[in-house]
Amino acid sequence: MRLLRIITEGVRSLRINKLRTFFMMAGTIVGIAALTVIMAIGKGTEKKVMKRLQNFGPRAIMLIAGGGKDLPPPDITVTTLTLADAEAIRNQIDGLEIVAPMAWNFNVNVTREANLHQATVWGVEPTWHEAWNWHVTDGEGISDQDVATMAKVCVIGETVRRELFGESDPIGERLYINKVALTVKGVLESRGASPMGMDFDSRVVIPITTAMRRVMNVDHVGAIRLISKDVSLIPRQAEAVRSMIHQRHHITPPEEDDFRLITPMVIAQLVKGIASTLSFLLIALAALSLFVGGVVMMNILLISVAERTKEIGLRRAVGATRGDVFAQFLTESLAVTIFGTILGSLLGLGVSVLLPRITPMPVVVTWEPFALAVAFALLVGTFFGVQPARRAARLHPVEALQ
Amino acid sequence: MIELKTIEKTYGSGDTATPVLKGISFRIQAGEYVALMGASGTGKSTLMNIVGCLDKPTGGQYQLDGADAVTLDDNALSHLRNQKIGFVFQQFHLLERTTALKNVMLPLIYSEPYPEDAEQRAEKVLTAVGLNDRMYYRPGELSGGQQQRVAIARALITNPQIILADEPTGNLDSKSGLEILAIFKRLHRDGHTIIIVTHDEEVAEHADRVIVLKDGKIEQDRRVAQPRDAEKEVDERIGREDAE
Repeated sequence: MRLLRIITEGVRSLRINKLRTFFMMAGTIVGIAALTVIMAIGKGTEKKVMKRLQNFGPRAIMLIAGGGKDLPPPDITVTTLTLADAEAIRNQIDGLEIVAPMAWNFNVNVTREANLHQATVWGVEPTWHEAWNWHVTDGEGISDQDVATMAKVCVIGETVRRELFGESDPIGERLYINKVALTVKGVLESRGASPMGMDFDSRVVIPITTAMRRVMNVDHVGAIRLISKDVSLIPRQAEAVRSMIHQRHHITPPEEDDFRLITPMVIAQLVKGIASTLSFLLIALAALSLFVGGVVMMNILLISVAERTKEIGLRRAVGATRGDVFAQFLTESLAVTIFGTILGSLLGLGVSVLLPRITPMPVVVTWEPFALAVAFALLVGTFFGVQPARRAARLHPVEALQ
Repeated sequence: MIELKTIEKTYGSGDTATPVLKGISFRIQAGEYVALMGASGTGKSTLMNIVGCLDKPTGGQYQLDGADAVTLDDNALSHLRNQKIGFVFQQFHLLERTTALKNVMLPLIYSEPYPEDAEQRAEKVLTAVGLNDRMYYRPGELSGGQQQRVAIARALITNPQIILADEPTGNLDSKSGLEILAIFKRLHRDGHTIIIVTHDEEVAEHADRVIVLKDGKIEQDRRVAQPRDAEKEVDERIGREDAE
């Protein structure tokens, strides 16, 4: 096939001038590598966001006591949020499935006979199980009656069970918190450790009334977890909660809030933050190097056309048509960008694999960037290759041979 | 075979118009050996380009083997060059860093259909010009005379009827030049039409017919009664060298 023979000629001339070919390729390699990394980070971030949202609860809103921007949850000394706030939300905000206030205390000594373990103690309402989708694997969870009667019962996490009860069955047994005896009525399913290394299973869950009156002796709660009936309602509900709490707490912006509202959108924003900065830089790098690389390639090709005028004249003399010459030079630019794309993709792949090991950047390698890279390569190769190829094809054989 | 009627070529237009060819007419029959002569600036290169279908005249008619070369489009002319004409240039015009074999095969890239035995054909024409032991040499590794012989082999690869040579011995010493002329003589004997463009009287003496241009017109068109035989001269020379 004639075209195939001409393509072979184009590739052959690239092989003959390896250094020139490399310079033509450099921009494409860097550009495509950057593009590959961007897309891997994009995918990785997306996945991380999804996972974080899944953990947070896609339909959840967290109203947390204490203002400021600091991430750690408030301790027992923060007293801004009350059960009355929870009650007001329950009565006045539409479209909520669950309103679950919680009070907690960190590093509480939990004892049973000679065994001691430090755990987080959570005072919750029965809806807590549903709000966190966190149920017992053994025994029963916290009930309405437990809350109503300030029952001295608890549900324990896997770590607490192991530390205090070892191999024996904990159900119906007693443990002590601050000299309050609590009867174990259930064991929670294991959730393992958080990404920060916090042990989710090191917890004792008790009725919120028991927690506030008998164990912690407080009038406030740490947070209220809201579960919306539909994701689309969340932004409006969050704003309604915000203005309601402003009113209840007598806060007039720009006065600082004494609470924090966290929605899935806030979580997504948080995760995307760092990645998007880097992605922006890489997109700029990719665009710049593809463009500059394309311009460099075009210039080298133009010089090459000028240098090879006699060769072009000769080819025309022995029977090459203008189309043949055009095809040969376009082949050169396309082959450069396609081969550059392959090298760039490999480089990008290498960086993508390396990146999670040296940075906290989430990376997921998929096939899409390679398809996109090839499309880019053909675009750049054509865009910057047409002009030199046209110039070569337009040469008059007589003038070219002189 | 080749028929030119009042061919004109003018460069530029209006006040700056420069007529180079002013009505050239001649016929060349198949199998002739013609030398196209003239001092530089007489338009012989322009005429060669027109005869070789590399350029079009601004006036007149040109029939090449029955085809009207004036009205054909660029693609058709390319095809015509590929099939009917073998070019030999003063500067050889070989592709650098490319073997003699690949250089010779170059015109076949643009041939339809591509011959199955392209490589064997290239080997055959290279052998015919005496380079059977230089097929994988690159131009830089060959002498001028050898390079020109590669170029002749390249001109022969599509088996064209006409060999059009522009000062083929211009860059060679007299011995190599004579060897090249010997090859032309043999090609002529094999039935090729040979047209050599030259300003060198000695080269022209090898042709059967000499057409002399002056100021864009034919000054003289004569038969050579006793053309020199380069093949014989080369043989004699070898004989003489052996004797010494």
